[in-house]
Amino acid sequence: MAGVQVSNVSRNFGAHKALDDVSIDFADGGFYALLGPSGSGKTTLLRQIAGFDFPDSGRISIGGESVERVPVEKRRIGMVFQNYALFPNMSVADNVAFGLSVRGEPKATIASEVQRALDLVQLGKLGGRRPHQLSGGQRQRVALARAIVTKPRVLLLDEPLGALDKALRVDMQIELKRIQREIGITTIFVTHDQEEALTMSDRIGILRDGRLVQEGPPEEIYDRPQSEFAATFLGDANIFRGDATGNGIKLPDGTEISAGAGAKLAAGAKASCAVRPERIQISTGTGRLESANANSLKGQVSKRIFAGNNSTYFVERAGQTLKVIVQNTGADRLAEGQPVMLSWSPESTVLIAAV
Amino acid sequence: MMTTRVLEWLGRLYIWLLLAFLYLPIVIMALMSFNVSPFYQLPFEWTTEWYASLWQNDQLISATWNSIEIAVITTLICTVLGSAASLALYRYDFRGKKVLQALLFPPIAIPWLITGTAMLIFFFGVGIGRGLFAILLGHVALALPYVIVVVSARLQTFAPELEEAARSLGANQWQVTSRVTLPWIMPGVIAGGLFAFAVSFDQFVVSYFLSTPGQTTLPVEIYAAIRKGFTPEINAVSTIIIVVSMALMLLTARFFKFGGEK
Amino acid sequence: MAAQSATATRSGLRSALPLLAPAYLWLTVAIFLPLSAMVFFSFMTELPLSGKPWAFTLGNYAAFFSQSLYLTLLLASLRLGLEVTLWCVVIGYPAAYVLAKVLKGRSREAIFLLVILPFWSNGLVRIFSWAMVLREGGILDTALNAVLPFKINIDLMYSYPAVIIGLVHSYVPYMVLTCYLTLQAIDDSLIEAGRSLGATRLQVLKRIIIPLSMPGLVAGAALIFVPVVGSFMEPRILGGRTGTFYGTVIEDQFVAVFNWPLGAALSFILLAVVLVILAVASPVLRRAA
Repeated sequence: MAGVQVSNVSRNFGAHKALDDVSIDFADGGFYALLGPSGSGKTTLLRQIAGFDFPDSGRISIGGESVERVPVEKRRIGMVFQNYALFPNMSVADNVAFGLSVRGEPKATIASEVQRALDLVQLGKLGGRRPHQLSGGQRQRVALARAIVTKPRVLLLDEPLGALDKALRVDMQIELKRIQREIGITTIFVTHDQEEALTMSDRIGILRDGRLVQEGPPEEIYDRPQSEFAATFLGDANIFRGDATGNGIKLPDGTEISAGAGAKLAAGAKASCAVRPERIQISTGTGRLESANANSLKGQVSKRIFAGNNSTYFVERAGQTLKVIVQNTGADRLAEGQPVMLSWSPESTVLIAAV
Repeated sequence: MMTTRVLEWLGRLYIWLLLAFLYLPIVIMALMSFNVSPFYQLPFEWTTEWYASLWQNDQLISATWNSIEIAVITTLICTVLGSAASLALYRYDFRGKKVLQALLFPPIAIPWLITGTAMLIFFFGVGIGRGLFAILLGHVALALPYVIVVVSARLQTFAPELEEAARSLGANQWQVTSRVTLPWIMPGVIAGGLFAFAVSFDQFVVSYFLSTPGQTTLPVEIYAAIRKGFTPEINAVSTIIIVVSMALMLLTARFFKFGGEK
Repeated sequence: MAAQSATATRSGLRSALPLLAPAYLWLTVAIFLPLSAMVFFSFMTELPLSGKPWAFTLGNYAAFFSQSLYLTLLLASLRLGLEVTLWCVVIGYPAAYVLAKVLKGRSREAIFLLVILPFWSNGLVRIFSWAMVLREGGILDTALNAVLPFKINIDLMYSYPAVIIGLVHSYVPYMVLTCYLTLQAIDDSLIEAGRSLGATRLQVLKRIIIPLSMPGLVAGAALIFVPVVGSFMEPRILGGRTGTFYGTVIEDQFVAVFNWPLGAALSFILLAVVLVILAVASPVLRRAA
């Protein structure tokens, strides 16, 4: 096992900057998600760590050993591919055995290791099958067993659950997490699914246009996004733009929005505030506001979407559509067209400097 | 619908007529090779004497051996060189790759008359001259593009992640090729090899310009015999050739779909 | 995608070269250098090997343009190519259509294989087999006289039609193959959509099916026309004395008259014609690929 350090890595494909001065530290034994839209460079970064491609500049080290010029077959990594990439001409057991066999391990060792790996992924009895005889979830498990049987220093997963349907995906998320805990391997996985990133990982790195936008534990990124992009890409957010007032902003129409204590930006600069839809309270104009909710705005409900355990209200306010999510508590629901009051606390407001 | 039925029925009939057009002359030739009359006179009387007399024809037999030897060596060389080239074209990207791929088509598209005469001139000019070695040089060059095209087509169905997966598991270049890539493309390699054998074994034009009286192949020998006059012996040997080459292509079809279905 | 270009740049020509070099060296020695040598020789008065003095000349090309015989024969060969190609379209396209759109499943697969099988068998022998059918007292003659109430003599052997029949027989599987490939790629729902919009069968054929299968038709036509223009063995066997074409004249220069420089010039002119034809056809062919 080993940690992975990526320092100032850049990679260009022609004029396209696929990775632009990315530094990120993956601590030993952690579970990391690289999250970003397609073309953000997350897969490129994973392939740099794997060794399929080399950086133009910067350093990559695994377990303290500098590897940026070491080809993939010498890096002792394990990788699970998006479409599993199981060898169609080999049985499940031979697939799992492949990594040990190319290293010239003795046959008896191989057999017992393969069986252990298959047991770990709960496929102990399917060693004799061919890949095409397996379901999607089973193939996924074989791919995982094959990647970890060689005891790699780091496990890399490229959108590992992308090809599975929703229900199976949730099962596999739990399963993957269990196995990772059991063997304690440093794991880096690429995904474009924010929910997957939030539920599975210890830390998340968000990439955009080849740059690392923000990195940290899921809670921190969700609660304190440092950019509009981070706020809207990981979860949903209402963004207000205006001029900084010190610990808040002033909207063009004069309304002031204050952020929690600690937020500070020099007055006068362009800035924005992000507010999560579930943090906003919605009430008919007549209702009493909670005193803590220093921020309030008037608006009009333009649409309501009912989703069982909650409802999403779209509220029109000064040409902007705001989103509010209200838990289903059995209280009266608001009608479309109704004037409403929105309010939320400064602690629920994140102040973001304009780029 | 009535009209649809009738049209479909006409279509089927038409296909059978086409098949009759394609196969009748061959069937007739085969039948005549078992006919007693050397002048193809009817009524038909069964005999195998023409096949028996083939065994006495030393010239034909030695030409046949030449043909087989050249076809086998051509097949071996073409599958090795062709598979290697296909792998390189599949695996790597470099400037000029498109040009190299385009260069495969002149040998296929240029009439063999032109290629054959050009080879004759050049081989003569550089001192290789004519004969079996020159024929082999030519056959390999003619068959190589076919092998590369067939193996490349098979490689198109190969997922590049499989090679990456093998490398990520610690396999070196040779292990990746021999244990993952080659097993997958093997049907294509076999089909390509059979194509190469067929191209060489049936090759007439290029062999014709490159052969000398002592060093010749079966089709060239047959052509010479035809121009001297038809004999039932030519029928017999032609029948054998056509049966062998069709069997070979049926075998190829088993390993490689010509497109269409899948 | 970024991932793909990453693999691509991993290694370039340097890694590819050891695998590519043997095949392409062979092609260079046995195809490309000979073709260049042919061009070179076509500008010589004599073969430099024969010991006789030689010099550069345009005479071989002058011969082509000054003696109407060569031009006439080239035109005759081009006409032969055109006729054979047309017959192959007329015979092969409907067959490809039936294969692609009427027959289904295993029977289609089997018949398709049967149609293209002869193409890969020995061409010389197949041409020869027609001799038995076409000659006087041959099968066609005997069969027709057995059926018809009056006596006729069918002796097509050593005639222009015999050459056409033999060549069409040789090349029609090519047309079926290329047309079949494009026809079976046409989604049946397009045809149904056409019919649902009120088009007749003929209109659907003319305005949907034929335009969509054009690449296959052009590919087939190019692949048939080019070798037919350069054919010499087929006219020799089936055409006899009437079977003198451009290809047979080139053959003569190399095996009978031994005027290689002239033969090289004639070959090169043919190559130029062929390349022009392929170049004209290539935009359509590229769309097909």
